[in-house]
Amino acid sequence: MSILSLEHVSKSYMTDGAPVPALHDISLDVGRGEFVALVGRSGCGKSTLLNLAGAMDFPTSGTLTLDGVITSSLNDAELTRIRCIKVGFIFQSFQLLHTLSVVENVELPLMLAGKTEVRQSALERLRWVEMESYAARMPYQLSGGQMQRVAIARALVNSPALLLADEPTGNLDTVTGDVILELLRRVADEQRTSILMATHSVEAAAMADSVVYMRDGAVATS
Amino acid sequence: MPAVLLFYRLIVRPLRKEMLRTVLTALAVALGVAVVIAIELAGDAAAGSFRASVETLAGDSDFEVTATAGGVPPETLAALASLPYALRLRPRMEDYAVLGERTIPLIAVDLLADALPGHTGDSSSASVFQSDDSIWAGDGLGLHVGDRVRLLINDRTAEFSVRGVLGARSGEVIVMDLAPASRVLGRTGNLDRILIQTPAGKSLDEWEPLLRAGLPAGVTLARQGSRTNENRRMLAAFRWNLRVLSYIALVVGAFLIYNTISVSVVRRRAEIGILRALGATRASVLGAFLGEAACFGLLGAGVGLALGRLMAESAVKLIAVTVDSLYVSSRPGSIHLGWDIVLLGLFLGTGVAVLSALLPAWEASTVVPVEAMARGRREHEVRMHRWRNLAIATALGLAAWIASQQGPVDGKPIFGYAAAVMLVGSSALLIPALVAGLSSVSAGLIRRVLGVEALLAARGLVGSLRRTSVLVGALSTAIAMMAAVGIMVGSFRETVLVWMDDRLQADLYLRPAGPTGPDKHPTMSAEVADRIAALPQVAAVDRFRAYEISYGGMPAILGGGDTAIAGRYGRRPFLSGADPRVVFPKLGSGDTVIVSEAFANKHQVRAGDVLKLPLGGREGRFRVVDIYYDYSSERGYIIMDRKTLLRYLPDPAPSNIAVYLKPGTGMDEGKRVVEEATAGRRVLVFSNRTLRAEAIKIFDRTFAITYALEGVAVFVAVMGVAGALLALVIDRRRELGLLRFLGISGPRLRRMILFEAGLLGLLANVAGLVLGVLLSLLLIYVINEQSFGWTIQFHWPVAVLLGAISLVYAATVAAGLYPAWVAVRLNPIEVIHEE
Repeated sequence: MSILSLEHVSKSYMTDGAPVPALHDISLDVGRGEFVALVGRSGCGKSTLLNLAGAMDFPTSGTLTLDGVITSSLNDAELTRIRCIKVGFIFQSFQLLHTLSVVENVELPLMLAGKTEVRQSALERLRWVEMESYAARMPYQLSGGQMQRVAIARALVNSPALLLADEPTGNLDTVTGDVILELLRRVADEQRTSILMATHSVEAAAMADSVVYMRDGAVATS
Repeated sequence: MPAVLLFYRLIVRPLRKEMLRTVLTALAVALGVAVVIAIELAGDAAAGSFRASVETLAGDSDFEVTATAGGVPPETLAALASLPYALRLRPRMEDYAVLGERTIPLIAVDLLADALPGHTGDSSSASVFQSDDSIWAGDGLGLHVGDRVRLLINDRTAEFSVRGVLGARSGEVIVMDLAPASRVLGRTGNLDRILIQTPAGKSLDEWEPLLRAGLPAGVTLARQGSRTNENRRMLAAFRWNLRVLSYIALVVGAFLIYNTISVSVVRRRAEIGILRALGATRASVLGAFLGEAACFGLLGAGVGLALGRLMAESAVKLIAVTVDSLYVSSRPGSIHLGWDIVLLGLFLGTGVAVLSALLPAWEASTVVPVEAMARGRREHEVRMHRWRNLAIATALGLAAWIASQQGPVDGKPIFGYAAAVMLVGSSALLIPALVAGLSSVSAGLIRRVLGVEALLAARGLVGSLRRTSVLVGALSTAIAMMAAVGIMVGSFRETVLVWMDDRLQADLYLRPAGPTGPDKHPTMSAEVADRIAALPQVAAVDRFRAYEISYGGMPAILGGGDTAIAGRYGRRPFLSGADPRVVFPKLGSGDTVIVSEAFANKHQVRAGDVLKLPLGGREGRFRVVDIYYDYSSERGYIIMDRKTLLRYLPDPAPSNIAVYLKPGTGMDEGKRVVEEATAGRRVLVFSNRTLRAEAIKIFDRTFAITYALEGVAVFVAVMGVAGALLALVIDRRRELGLLRFLGISGPRLRRMILFEAGLLGLLANVAGLVLGVLLSLLLIYVINEQSFGWTIQFHWPVAVLLGAISLVYAATVAAGLYPAWVAVRLNPIEVIHEE
């Protein structure tokens, strides 16, 4: 059974009163523990697709099912809850909170989910990404690669079924980027977490189980 | 021109994009300027345009001859007339008459010799002038020739005919001829003043010794208008203190300008880096940000001037109440917004804005392009400087303590104010440490008790420490001033209540009907007091007579009372701590007096000193036996025994009567029999309780203006919090968007922003209260004592403080509502992908 399923999904935005299509008739399945890469140029619709997959937005038409739940049938509170427990996000620019320490950043999703004993889980995740010794540091004291490791730890701390990664190596040099991609590969293999990764790098896509090519808001080749 | 265009594109255009924040900042300046302008305009109207009402119709006289109290003997007029100079002499009597609700100066002049200025009506015959019911009315009274009016003069009312109306701008005045006036006023023939107009040819400096040589002892020669000048001098301290209070809102506004420009610099760091890389000089970057501040200043000053003019209408009424209650009877003049005030407003608005922006603008000019991209470093630097700030704060605190120990300069508590400014500076520098310290100490607790939203809020504030500190600084300064003034006024009120307990021991108090004032002492017939004293229910009657006098170039009150009764019943506290039963008997024999604390401080008089007072045509020398606490008049009292006073001024009519009832006589019965004894006289009888309530009502009205000023300062600060929280939300929108990605719901995000507002309010309240208590000590023990010479016992007005602080706290949290709404409405997808 797939963790994420898109059936004829389209998405348009209204600009100056006229609809501007961002995604057109996308059908896609991501199985449990599967690592899928979305490849395409900037503006082809990769990020829009990730936002829909992460229950951050609704499709204009079509059906999106996340772990058996059709997202368009949910209200804002239910969407927030499903994001909290089923989805983890990784961004190109890491998006760590600069006011929180490394371990506090990782604890954050657990706390937002209402859990109280969070330190141990956070430290475990940091150990898994080999960042435990940096737990007390502030984000601005880390390198880009270290920040992205922390972001991965934070994304995994709730043990989500789906990890959405938007250009996770876009701000990193090649060597560091490869380390992060290997880490994502481990996530899929060892944690059995499904990954949907947007990238414009064919080399990065090579780490995935399957690659979806996108062009002008539609799937070009699968 | 390219510079102007660039300034428009890079500075003005962004201001227009964030209209709400721009408006809030400009409004903060506007309110600050408005309050200063309003107080300046209202002060000028209430006191600046003030002329002693008894100097109405003084014409173009050069000198005036007066006596300290009791009037100028008529022989003085003869002595002046016999001098070999062509002097124009205008003898006058001065008093007050009550027409309806209005108290109007009553001036008696020699109508046969002195033509009234431009009047209409009947002045054809001496019989008209000398009729006891003939009066001439000033044009401000709205009376017409032939009108019949009923006037209350001292404790009697009588009907008068309006024989003429004086010329334009004569204002509110009633004029009579001397002879009938002396009968109506019950005077013994003494004059109040002789105005002298000297012929041309000699300077006034030359005339002065010539005239002085021709005058008998016991009278005083002064330049005409000296009474007005005396009053102005007396009001100077009051106006000075009010003016200082009015600047608080501007200081709070300055904090907010600093904050706005700091935000602007932090936001545009990358932009500044690019501009510097493209060839912009440091000076041009500095100029651009100072220009931004000047825009706020000019905009604020423009609005502030208009607002200030409007606020002056209300302020003048509040100030007039204080002037009337504590200083001198006055009628506010018109409010005039002149060019000097307009320039003051523009100068203050732009000056304060530019000065407040200096530091952040300078920092902008030192931005290194490479560094400009590194976010987080600015905040880090503030943390690094915390110890340095702590050291400076300690030094400032120490300097404030040293300044508080210094005496006044030219009668003004300059060092006291300097100490207050240093304390505010010290507190502002301590705030980053306070914010970080309290947040880290309470982090665990906050998280456990209030949840993750509260923890995020606390961390958010510490993360923006620089900005948070300025905000807390602004709000805490406003709260501190509010608390300080609240404690000072509350302490003063409590001191007055305790003092009244000691001072007001009689059961009933009597005074003539009609308004009274510190410079108005209408009298009752002596027989009223005699009739009351003869009542079987009455144990004792203390007759008190007050005269308005001039001492050492300042107005004061000379009073005479029955010191034997005061010694027996009163518990008047003395500075020396001496028992009143020991002090009062000393007044019964010889020329001895006691003086009030305000008088002693104003004239540097100590127990044992001798006061020289020209009274009743001779110069008396009075030894000061002791100094007593008094809060009834800022002018200060000289009190002697009634018998001593009557030896110099043999007028037995009392101004006030205190009645002590025999034990067993009920208050209602006592009041009834006393009122019966005063039948036919316009006399007011107050019970002890009513008098106290009346006094406290006047006290509260007097300090209404200070609360109004504090209110504006707090409003400006709360408005600043709203603007700054909005800026924080906009700056942290990516973080807020991320939280939505991580699973925070809209209501929880709203709660987080409200927690931030609440934490800001809490920190500001803590810092403000501590600073406020310190400032209140300065106000009570340094500034008040040096300005007004009153001893105030420290007292905590707990209810007032709690009420005010809760209100400010609620307002601060409410100020977070709009930013919270904006935060919830942010589109997380848009803000997270902005880069």
